[in-house]
Amino acid sequence: MKIASITTAAALLVTVTAGAGDEVATGVDAETGLKSWKWEGDGLGIELLQVPPDFIRASYARRGLPDTVIEAVATRCVFGTIIRNISDRSLSYRVADWRYTIDGGVEKPIKTKSEWLEEWHGMGVRFSWSILADDPTFAVGDWIQGFTTMAEPHASQLDLKVVWSIEGEPYEKILSGLQCAPPPAVD
Amino acid sequence: MRRFCPDFNVPRRRLSISLLALMLLFCATQSVVADQPPLGHKMNPVEPPVASADFTLPDMDGESHSLSDFRGQVVMLNFWATWCPPCRREMPSMQRLYAKYRDRGLAVVAVNQWEDEDLVFEFTGRLSLEPTFPILFDRESRVAETYGVKGLPTTYLLDREGNVRFVAIGGREFDHPDVEALIEGLL
Repeated sequence: MKIASITTAAALLVTVTAGAGDEVATGVDAETGLKSWKWEGDGLGIELLQVPPDFIRASYARRGLPDTVIEAVATRCVFGTIIRNISDRSLSYRVADWRYTIDGGVEKPIKTKSEWLEEWHGMGVRFSWSILADDPTFAVGDWIQGFTTMAEPHASQLDLKVVWSIEGEPYEKILSGLQCAPPPAVD
Repeated sequence: MRRFCPDFNVPRRRLSISLLALMLLFCATQSVVADQPPLGHKMNPVEPPVASADFTLPDMDGESHSLSDFRGQVVMLNFWATWCPPCRREMPSMQRLYAKYRDRGLAVVAVNQWEDEDLVFEFTGRLSLEPTFPILFDRESRVAETYGVKGLPTTYLLDREGNVRFVAIGGREFDHPDVEALIEGLL
């Protein structure tokens, strides 16, 4: 296992722990302390980043979303998520098939974009771009990003089982030790 | 002094949290963009080609444009938003492509999602290469829904008869020779 430091163009110092082989690379933003996870294998690239509740509140409010929508998301555990097809064939996934566990407990589902939008449409909210697409099929080189949301308190630790298929051939990967963003800081 | 992201009332110190760019959703900083997945250059064929759905949307000046206005040209139809980092990254390459091929019959139509003229005007004014193709406003994403867009950016390439021939989900470098070869094949 190696430790590397990367300085970005914005002089943002980030510590990255890169695992060999099948391990998940983790990062910690030196400025904010927020954590990220990255893994590539079996044709899939996945990256997750803690999204803090105050960011969700501010960005949703900017779009005029009602408080009920804002709080429903902001009070959950939220990860910004990038999914990439790095295979040379068609890749599909369904968020409805993904599960997470806490302390090895019962597997729990992730609330899907379709489930969120059904609620939001009932409230007259049509904004649909923030939550990760729940059942896309990606051709070669396609990628997408969005929020994944778990009904857990901020700062919870969990293991996420990601399931996908490449032209019908199933794969799964458990990303262990993910941690939800911490609760809002008290200024 | 607290600094703020220009687009949103979110403290910038909280926006620079991303090594991964999952800040994704609403405000990209340079460091964020630098860490996004690389832009590819593959557009994937739609088999069999499907007829594009016509629509009419306003541009920056409030003037209406229909997709059918461009019939007889090869059309690159791009769904995007300013808060979407890969959308921002790919736009200059789209302008370069447009500048190279517009006299031979390429039209580029960028359909913005959920934003207003003022915000987009400010954004395009900051680009190193300002778009000269039409930017239309799909404020409630109804056209995007019609086209089955699951994430931003998504780009379709239409032939002169208005059939959808190629698609790309996620950011691309559109002035890459591979994309240009597709354009040449359709012109």
